[in-house]
Amino acid sequence: MPDTLKSLGGPGANSGATTLGSLKTMDLMVNGQPVTREVAAHISLLDFLRDDLKLKGAKECCAVGECGACTVLVDGEPVNACLLLAVEGQGKSIETIEGVSKGAQLSTVQHSFLKCGGVQCGFCIPGMVMSAEALHRAMPEAGEVQVREALSGNLCRCGGYNRMFDAMRDAAGQKVQCHTTAPITGATVGADISRLGGVERVNGSQEFLADLDIAGMAHLKLVTLDVGRAQIKRIDTSKAHAVPGVIDVVTAADLPQPVARFGPAYQDRPIIAVGETRYHGEPVAAVVAESKDIAAYAAGLVEVEHVALPAVTSIDAALAQGAPLVQPVELRPDDPLAGSNVLKELNFGWGDVDGAAADLVVEKTYTFPMVTHFAIEPHGFIVDAQEDRMKIWSPVQHPFLLQKIMAGLFDLPLGAVQVIAPDPGGGFGGKQMPKFEPLVAVVSRRIGRPVRLVLTLEETFQAVRRAGARIHVRSGFSKDGDLLFHDIQSDYLIGAYVDIAERVTTKGNYLACGPYRVPNARIRARPVLSHTTPSCAYRGFGTPQVNWAVEGQINEAARQLGIDGLEIRLRNVADKGQEIVRGEVPADGHWLQAVQRAADMLGWDTTKPAGRGRGIAVGIKAGATTGLSNAMVRLLADGSILVFAGTSDMGQGARTIFAQIAADALGAPYDRVSLIMGDTDVVPFDLQTSASRSTVFMGTAITRACEDIHAQVIELACDTLGIPETEIRIEGGVIVLPDRREPIFDFVQKSLGSWNGELIGNGRMRKPNVAEHPLGGSPAFFEFNCTAFEVEVDRDTGEVMIHKHVTVGDVGKALNPLHVEMQDEGAAIMGLGHSLYEQILMDDAGRIRNLGAIDYRIVTSKDMPVRLSTGMIENEDGPGPKGSKGVSEGAILCTAPALGAAVADAIGVVITDLPMTPERIWRAIQEQTLG
Amino acid sequence: MKPFDFIMPGSLSEAYTVWEELGPAARLLAGGTDLTVALRHGHLATDVVIDLKGIAELKPDIEDDAGWLRVSAGTTMTTLCRYLSERALLPALQEAARVVGSIQIRNRATLAGNVCNASPAADTVPVLAALGAEVEICGPEGTRRTLITAFIEGNRQIDLQRGEIVTAVLIPKPQGRHGCAFDRITRRRGVDLATANLCCNIDDKGAVLFGLGAVSPRPLVLTDESGVMGDPKANHEDRAKAIQVMAAKARPISDVRASADYRSAMLCIMADRACKTAHARRAGGMDA
Ligand code: FES
Ligand code: FES
Repeated sequence: MPDTLKSLGGPGANSGATTLGSLKTMDLMVNGQPVTREVAAHISLLDFLRDDLKLKGAKECCAVGECGACTVLVDGEPVNACLLLAVEGQGKSIETIEGVSKGAQLSTVQHSFLKCGGVQCGFCIPGMVMSAEALHRAMPEAGEVQVREALSGNLCRCGGYNRMFDAMRDAAGQKVQCHTTAPITGATVGADISRLGGVERVNGSQEFLADLDIAGMAHLKLVTLDVGRAQIKRIDTSKAHAVPGVIDVVTAADLPQPVARFGPAYQDRPIIAVGETRYHGEPVAAVVAESKDIAAYAAGLVEVEHVALPAVTSIDAALAQGAPLVQPVELRPDDPLAGSNVLKELNFGWGDVDGAAADLVVEKTYTFPMVTHFAIEPHGFIVDAQEDRMKIWSPVQHPFLLQKIMAGLFDLPLGAVQVIAPDPGGGFGGKQMPKFEPLVAVVSRRIGRPVRLVLTLEETFQAVRRAGARIHVRSGFSKDGDLLFHDIQSDYLIGAYVDIAERVTTKGNYLACGPYRVPNARIRARPVLSHTTPSCAYRGFGTPQVNWAVEGQINEAARQLGIDGLEIRLRNVADKGQEIVRGEVPADGHWLQAVQRAADMLGWDTTKPAGRGRGIAVGIKAGATTGLSNAMVRLLADGSILVFAGTSDMGQGARTIFAQIAADALGAPYDRVSLIMGDTDVVPFDLQTSASRSTVFMGTAITRACEDIHAQVIELACDTLGIPETEIRIEGGVIVLPDRREPIFDFVQKSLGSWNGELIGNGRMRKPNVAEHPLGGSPAFFEFNCTAFEVEVDRDTGEVMIHKHVTVGDVGKALNPLHVEMQDEGAAIMGLGHSLYEQILMDDAGRIRNLGAIDYRIVTSKDMPVRLSTGMIENEDGPGPKGSKGVSEGAILCTAPALGAAVADAIGVVITDLPMTPERIWRAIQEQTLG
Repeated sequence: MKPFDFIMPGSLSEAYTVWEELGPAARLLAGGTDLTVALRHGHLATDVVIDLKGIAELKPDIEDDAGWLRVSAGTTMTTLCRYLSERALLPALQEAARVVGSIQIRNRATLAGNVCNASPAADTVPVLAALGAEVEICGPEGTRRTLITAFIEGNRQIDLQRGEIVTAVLIPKPQGRHGCAFDRITRRRGVDLATANLCCNIDDKGAVLFGLGAVSPRPLVLTDESGVMGDPKANHEDRAKAIQVMAAKARPISDVRASADYRSAMLCIMADRACKTAHARRAGGMDA
């Protein structure tokens, strides 16, 4: 142990009683105030600001200077606070996001960010605003080139870049498409109302999980092995135990035996690795200490004697004869496939594929890489577990599912398990299911204190990912371009534990044939276990993988038949009411309108500039198939409205949409609505926030809760005015009386006083489970998208330059067009990531080679297409309020095949493996040149 | 991270003394954009960090003296870029310095640090190498100067003896009609480490020199012996041949960023492009 380690003693369990390292005194200015503090030399400026000064606006994500979430200004210049030692701040003047707005008065940049829709989950925003602020102050009239450069050190995984470019134009005083920011009454639905919770996100006061300080909280750090798969021989925790400030070190041996396993569908994941680690990063021990710094240091002192075992990390390796079994046979009792790494064999289809006669048969194999969510907020959990009750803070997408799983695991009544779900800083599916909550709970119970675990970005990479896939397709076409059959074999590479991956494979492949009229289809899909991070839900669920292949087939057929990519789709895509999957609900929108709109927006029939290529593709994803969402709406005597909803607002803007719905239904100004979310003790049950369901499911529940209030308003009017019920109606948010019309909002303020109370409405939407349906029920709606590109490819280097990127969704009704645009762009940009750059790379030992932000590349402001635009088809034909449908995943479904088609059109090479990195395209060009 | 002590000497002599005394137990800190990451990830561990930013002699400063630019060790990339662009000096070095990380990084990272970190992918190093830049090293034994190409001995290895500190990077200003250009290949347009990078320098006599990055453990400077590259009107085949000869001397590796053969191929592409730009700059006759 270094001699710089000393215990300072001192009272209070959470007062930093023990500190690691020698302390230095420093003086600096922070947001204009002089500060004098002692700080250990190895503490980063970011930790100092957040933990010592409690300025939690700056965030930590990558901790290596790549994401910019920690950006602050030092002597006026933006820097990464994670890369500075706090002691380097000596004598400096630091400005954090907290110093940017004057009280509630936002700066010009902050105001523009909100107004133009730059803010989604908000986790990147404090850092982003600091970079934007620095540019704006230095160069108020900065143009897009400077803006792209200035923001390129800040990553936004929600994909807000386009709106931010707008915001910077707005801040520069240029005219941008005008969005409503003022709360309005009566017609917020359909208007670009700015985000509820937006102010907190631009001024840095929004509390994310890592910003919470729970009294008495101790800090946990995972102990992992740098090996893909290993047999654990012996764990020596003595050195870690000896570090002052370490409270406990926990291994599987310390847990009740047998160590419990959990999972949403299969109970296969142990709380902590028992005897064997099955993927790179699976924890074997956990150290809990007084500070995160001590925990991290001590975790490095835990000695784990282990033997590396062969790991299967690819589909071929997992399916090979004699491949090591990822899950022991005992874990899969009664499963005839238990002797293999195939989890399930799924079969769908209709018609007669083998008997179908085709003029053209296209047969190809496509691959889709493992990718990771890379939410800018790394995963984090806090649990206060006592013998008889438990409180869990987790930015989880499904608080009630977490409650259920934890109650089961710890044998507690549901009512004794409270889940508090702070808004996730981006979810994208990664935050759906429990991950380390059970481990944190076990440790919390052992030490009798709340325990916090916040993962590093590297650990987050090891915790969540999307299934990689290899898809082999044979497709038949008539010479005129009619699609006759698809014969699809999909293998999805899932992880060591199933999580929700079986459903991902099922749902994606059930709709493998896409939004087409296909007379004959055979789909065989297998989720294949491997020694890799458990793959989980991820925006688009299992569709982007198989759609890459199937749309690739359509593009290939078009090329071989000499038909245009647009024409072959106009010929085969189902239009409203036409059947796609035999026996399933038919197409629920005028999809051909979306295809045509995308083509028009791109300028499909204009002359193509020299050297450029164009491509187009479509996709559909099944919306939620089952569900139960409850909502409660309280209309208070002064017209205030409280909406209780179990949805998680992870950037999609659920809060805003719900407030709009309630405001309009009750004739109230938008700013009188408050949303109460994310606390299972307070909000009524909601199944989950997934599958773009919330507008439809929770939106409907809220609408119905407001209708429940309407009935009571009529009763109130009868009672107080003495008018018969038959003479009173509610229209929109207005009560219609024989002599006048009045917004409910105004009416209750005058009348409710006599009732001494408030009106409480309950509403729910339920879609029951249908046991015999392969998905448990028909999709509540389809998310349809058409994407088109115009690109240029550098034949020498393989680099792709995107000039135009167009995405059009069939949204039913845009309740908030700005929000729809934000969601759509976000999905599109994420799609560009897996199309062009993103992939988890493994070495032969099963280790991830590109953990963290340096070698896993996502889209930055400088990678944005020259022009990205969104269109929406609104026919008010969805099942949600005002005919809305879910919208947040469509634009990720067909990014890759549309881009692939554009690349092929530009340079004549066809890529079948993603991502289309410069090197991969270059290689394809070399092969083409060699013939 | 393993805790360490922190010392911020106020003068060079104070700095040598502690640095010499501590030796391998200490690490020097300039901008910290590489060191902090290495310490946090445990790639490096140290007992003491010696922060050089308090040393008066190393304060950010660029001097233009007798044909040399002397860039003090405390000078950040941002300051360097601003200085060069205001004076329209060394466009290739500007191009390289401007792509080191993000703005946030460039506000901290120093030119001397980029050299001392000795990453094969460092962007400024091929330019400095091609220009014949040197580092100025002060130590208890006095001051010495050494060529950057000699100073960087391998991947993360530099010729710095116990007690020695790099005090400045010295860049000879090209004289007469000359042209110099930088190019790099990355995986995306936004902030990225170079897959490969290169600088082409054509001197007043038309001799062509290439500085290559990320394709060998230490900076590689290659001269075009054929003379073809010095002729702006040379035909495509001859140029390709000359570049091939040169590229064959590089020893790229395959890693997570790219394969060796992509790197080799890109070397040729960059050499061709940079050479054209360098010729154009030379023809422009400006101090470029
Ligand atoms: S750049 Fe500091 S946390 Fe990512
Ligand atoms: S708003 Fe940028 S990461 Fe969510």
